[in-house]
Amino acid sequence: MSDPGTDPSHDLESSEAAAAPHEPDEPLRSMLRGALREEEPPPNVLAGVQKRIRERSKGKFYADGWSTAKHPPLNTYLVTSLLMLAILGISYALLSPLAGAPVPVRNQPVPVQLIPH
Amino acid sequence: MADRRDVAAHPVYLADGVADAEEQSERKFIERLAQRDERAFNELVELYEARVFRLLLRMLGRRDEAEDMAQEVFVQIFKAVGTFRGDAKLSTWIYRVSVNLCKNRMKYLARRHSEGEDELEPVAERAALDEAKGVTFGDVAQPDRMVEGYQIERVVQQCIAELEPDFREVLILRDLEDLSYEELSEITGLPDGTVKSRLHRARSMLKANVERKMGEKIR
Repeated sequence: MSDPGTDPSHDLESSEAAAAPHEPDEPLRSMLRGALREEEPPPNVLAGVQKRIRERSKGKFYADGWSTAKHPPLNTYLVTSLLMLAILGISYALLSPLAGAPVPVRNQPVPVQLIPH
Repeated sequence: MADRRDVAAHPVYLADGVADAEEQSERKFIERLAQRDERAFNELVELYEARVFRLLLRMLGRRDEAEDMAQEVFVQIFKAVGTFRGDAKLSTWIYRVSVNLCKNRMKYLARRHSEGEDELEPVAERAALDEAKGVTFGDVAQPDRMVEGYQIERVVQQCIAELEPDFREVLILRDLEDLSYEELSEITGLPDGTVKSRLHRARSMLKANVERKMGEKIR
C-alpha cells in the first residue's frame, strides 16, 4: 500500500474530494448490487483453514480431532457405548441357556492304601 | 438527584451499556485469540467467513480464487492476531488483512497475465448461464428483457474488473459492503478526503465505462 504522505496523487485526490458529491449514486449502486449478487451460498472454509494451519505449524496447532471438530463428537461416543452394551446383553442372553446345569463332581477323598514293605 | 433506575433506563445509558458489554466481550475474545485458543479461532472463522469470501469474490471475480484466498486470509489472521492492538474494530482489521492480501494476489495474477478478460469471461459466462439454468424462452414473458438484463450484468462485471485495484477496493467496500468512510479510511490507510475522492472517481469511471459499452445512460 502506498504511503499517503509521499504520493502526490493524494493531494490531487484530496482537492477533488472537496468538490465531489459523496451521496451514493443509487442507480449505479443498485446496478452494482444486481451484477455482483451472489446466489450460491459461501463455502465453508474452516476445514481448509485448519488443515493449512496444521501443516504450516507442523502439527503444533489443530493436531487432534477434538480441536479440529466444530463440536466434540458426543453422539458418536454415546451411540458406540450403547451399541457395546446391547451386544453384551444379546451375547449373554444367547449364551446363558447353552451353559446348562452344572456337572456333579465327586469330591469324596480316595481311601488311603498303605503299601506293605 | 436523579433516580438511579431512571438513569439506567435512559436509552443513551442503555446504548452505552450495550456498547461497553460488546467491547468487553470483543476484548476477551481477542485475548483468547492471542492465546491461540483454537476454539475461539474456529468461532472467528465461522463468524467472518461469509463476509470475507463475499468481499474477495467481488474483488477477484472468481469463486475458486476467492475460496483459496479466504483460507489464506484466516491463516494470516491466525498468525498475526497477536499483533492486533485493538485500535480498530476486529472486523475492520479483518477487512484490512483481506484487502491487502487480495491486492497482492491481484498483482501476482496480473504478473502472470491471468487477470482481465481471461478470468472475467468465465465468471460472466457462468453468471449468465446460472441465471438461465432451467429457463426457456417459452417460460419467460419478456425474453428480450431477460437477455438485456444478463448483458448489463456482464458488462458491469467486466467494467469492475477493468477498474484499478485501488478504485475497485473503495467502490466495493463502500457501495457493496456498506462500510463507513471512517472504516474505509482505516482499512485503506488513506485520509478521509482521499477515500471520498477516490470513491467519487471510481463511481465516475465505472459509470462512464458501463455507459460507453452499453451505448446508453444509466438511469
